[in-house]
Amino acid sequence: MELSLLEVAVNALGVMLEPERLMYLGLGTVLGLAIGIMPGIGGVAGLALLLPFTFSLDAYSAFAFMLGLGAVTSTSDTIPAVLFGVPGTSASQATVIDGHSMAKNGEAGRALSAAYAASLFGGLWGALLLGLTIPVLRPIMLNINSPELLAFSIFGLSMVSALSGSMPLRGLAMAGFGVLLAMVGGDPTSGQQRWTFDSLYLYDDLPLLPVALGLFALPELADIAIKRMAISQTNKYDLREGMAVGLRDVLENWWLVAKCGSLGAMIGAIPGLGSAVVDWFAYGYAAKSCKGASETFGKGDVRGVIAPESANNAKEGGSLVPTIAFGVPGSASMALLLGGFMIHGLVPGKAMVTTNIEVTYSMVWSIALANILGAGLCFAFSGQFAKIATLRYTLVIPGVICIMMVGAYQASADWGDLLVLLIFGTVGWIMKHMRWPRPPLILGFVLGGIIEDYMRISYQLYEWGWIFRPVCAVMLIAAALSLTQPILSKIFVKREAITMPRFGAPVFMKADGFSFAFILVLVWMIWRSLSWDEEAQGAPQIIAGLTLALVVISLLWAAFTRRHSDGKQGAILDLVADMGELTRAMVNVRALQFLSWLVAFVLVWSVAGILVAALCFVVFYMRVQAQESWRMIAGYAVVIMCLIYFVFDQGFHISWPETVLGTWFPVLQAIPTM
Amino acid sequence: MKTLNKVIATVCASVLAAGTVVAGGHGSVADFYKGKTVELYIGYDPGGGYDTYARLLARHIGKHIPGNPDVVPKNMPGAGSVKLTNWLWEGAPKDGTVFGAISRGAPFEPVLGNDKAKFRANKFNWVGSANNEVSVCATMKRNGITNWEQLKTQELTVGGNGSGSDTEQFPKLMNAVLGTKFKVIGPYGGGSDIVKAMEAGELGGRCGWSWSSVKGTKADLLASGELVLLMQMSGSKHPELPDVPLVMDLAKSKEERQMLNLIFARQALGRPYVAPPDIPADRAKALQDAFVATVNDPAFIAEAKKMDLELSPLSGDEVAALVAESYDTPQAVIDRAIDAIR
Repeated sequence: MELSLLEVAVNALGVMLEPERLMYLGLGTVLGLAIGIMPGIGGVAGLALLLPFTFSLDAYSAFAFMLGLGAVTSTSDTIPAVLFGVPGTSASQATVIDGHSMAKNGEAGRALSAAYAASLFGGLWGALLLGLTIPVLRPIMLNINSPELLAFSIFGLSMVSALSGSMPLRGLAMAGFGVLLAMVGGDPTSGQQRWTFDSLYLYDDLPLLPVALGLFALPELADIAIKRMAISQTNKYDLREGMAVGLRDVLENWWLVAKCGSLGAMIGAIPGLGSAVVDWFAYGYAAKSCKGASETFGKGDVRGVIAPESANNAKEGGSLVPTIAFGVPGSASMALLLGGFMIHGLVPGKAMVTTNIEVTYSMVWSIALANILGAGLCFAFSGQFAKIATLRYTLVIPGVICIMMVGAYQASADWGDLLVLLIFGTVGWIMKHMRWPRPPLILGFVLGGIIEDYMRISYQLYEWGWIFRPVCAVMLIAAALSLTQPILSKIFVKREAITMPRFGAPVFMKADGFSFAFILVLVWMIWRSLSWDEEAQGAPQIIAGLTLALVVISLLWAAFTRRHSDGKQGAILDLVADMGELTRAMVNVRALQFLSWLVAFVLVWSVAGILVAALCFVVFYMRVQAQESWRMIAGYAVVIMCLIYFVFDQGFHISWPETVLGTWFPVLQAIPTM
Repeated sequence: MKTLNKVIATVCASVLAAGTVVAGGHGSVADFYKGKTVELYIGYDPGGGYDTYARLLARHIGKHIPGNPDVVPKNMPGAGSVKLTNWLWEGAPKDGTVFGAISRGAPFEPVLGNDKAKFRANKFNWVGSANNEVSVCATMKRNGITNWEQLKTQELTVGGNGSGSDTEQFPKLMNAVLGTKFKVIGPYGGGSDIVKAMEAGELGGRCGWSWSSVKGTKADLLASGELVLLMQMSGSKHPELPDVPLVMDLAKSKEERQMLNLIFARQALGRPYVAPPDIPADRAKALQDAFVATVNDPAFIAEAKKMDLELSPLSGDEVAALVAESYDTPQAVIDRAIDAIR
């Protein structure tokens, strides 16, 4: 007897609502929330450890547990993003821009509540889309091949125009530099080592996590430490009011939620894209399409929170598509889920949308229910979390830094991760203060590798013929329009004349130092690439050349127009440094101090292990910076050290690096992490 | 005062005792491992085949090592596990508390001219290998190629995963040795991406696809006859595939055979485990024996079966012999092979 899809879906819901399965779903959800809160800590290591425990469960419970864990990390990752400007996972980078600005304006409660409501509706919408399209998934996916994926990625890259605000040249240059960073590592075809400094660490390409944490998280933490004040002095709303306003914001913007949710589900379904760009796509889309966005985005517009948050929860439903339909896991956590399939005798492919469709629907329900539970829990506590924004900075910095250091390190368990974190943290801070937009850099970095690979495949298969495939042609035209939209809308919609600025004798400023340094780096990169295998030279040199040209033009343009400019600066879609009363010199001195703290942290780590380093950092930072009471320091230090020891050492089994003391005195290795 | 002396004496004695244990001097192997933690490092991120096999082993091998230490899996990914292999060679503690799960290709990287691989694999203490990974070349029936001889006249596009990957090296080597006309397209993100592209008709086939994974994921295509197996690659035929030609049988000269062996020998030690060089001989032996005992342990076998992981284990000595053979290949043959797979 053939059951209708609706009946199957209802049956699957009945299966999922059994108390035992709900319990596993709840357990997974709570773990997922905890993982999402901790910046840089991904769920994969924990999931790999927990996987064996799911062997003895029935298939429905096992997947409920795993999907519950995966579905809500992008709900709770908003908490550090809004409060500290530190994205909890790579899916909430874009939330930082307006969410953290809102927190600074005293609207943390509203931002959090709006984010959870958006996460909830976005997640449910994504699950619904998945549920509706299951029967046609395979045929659709069979028609999306490498050239189509390439075209999607190029379209995604064209979002830089929306993410550069009034600095299009700088935005494009940064996107180009991001693509170049994606090329660091072995050339996939010839094996040529590209800009690797002969190190094994860079052999596998630059890892995303320390780069993203460095670019976005460290600069915010540095500015908190520099200002030496709580993130926000006031809370505009009381507990309930903040929650109510945030919820109302989302309901008023339901159309934005639906659009960004759909976008998120689609991007989730494309292997290789996923969480690192989905939030930027949605943010860029909102920045282009929302009314008045160019005035308010970046300064604490709630729509800048709603868009990425509704998209990043919807992506989980989408990312199930390639996994269940073809056994192509889009991420490490999906690869583990796939491992779970085998254990429960399920084979991805046709069977999952025919004979085993009830299991598939139970997964859709798992995602939906986890979203409800996860958002509900976070929502209930959002007022409490909002209070954290008013805490003294010395209570915030030590904990966040310790967790983030561990998070960055476990990206590839290598000192290189920490070096990359510090380097990109420094560059990110300078960019923030010099008004160079960071989002295009990360977009170029994530999409650059994908575009390079699919470009090779498409060219090998079809040469330039791939451009004329219908989907590709449409996407490429859309990309061209998206790139030129700011100019086009000026001419055709607003009917404004394009006025050239007045040029005068060039004026250079200290701030141009960044451009000059950038130029030097690019020249060095081109020079290095001249000695490579010939077949590996082309693409990197073209991109580096274009980027170089953009930087030079942007520098000269600024220098030649400066004499007659009115000094007004347009908006950039990124957090802007607002240092209050502090003088530039004071800011720089304190920035150097903060960097020294971090360098000292890493040095102590290398000598005596992470536990000792974390202890020293907590004690000295709290004592030296703010004379916190010893009782407070002791309590704080115990909590942090327990977290590192029990969760990261005993729980995740992170492979810690060898330390100087541990190598010289092997007896000391009895001390954990030494 | 007396008590203080006593305390000092006790402290000295225990420090000395600790020192001896660390130095690995006295005491039986069981005494050494008792209460200790043995770390099984995995050269990949969680989620893949090497990780899955290694975590399964880690759950069981502890009870077969004398002293029953805890065995904890840890990931140290990088450079296709060459990073981990380098560390096991140089950096890892050489007391028997650490061993690793590396890729089947890693031991041969130094021979094949990878200057980043700073070890000599024939000097390692090989613990064993969990499976002889027989790999196949497969295509879809609609492409009209039904036996490998056709590959010499007809071009077939196959997906590759980038330089150094099996899916790239295998077809290139066969082009050079057997005169086949594989055209390698890539780099695809993973093996499953290649299979999806093959199903969608973007690619002709996949060459370098573990038979256990074919069975596990594409049983429907096999049953319907849509998937055609052209060749199998390993040292010997898989018992389930008597009619699919074995690549080693297709070589016409000794040199061709040596070239194929250099690349395909690795299949036999498909899931290798290795301990650092220079660890105390009795502990190395204990790890090797524990491996053999584990792969014969019914609980281990049952769990592997449940997880759909194939088992055809080799002992540490057998792995060592295969590795040593490759290291003895004449340089001229090696150079030809390197030329072919680049």
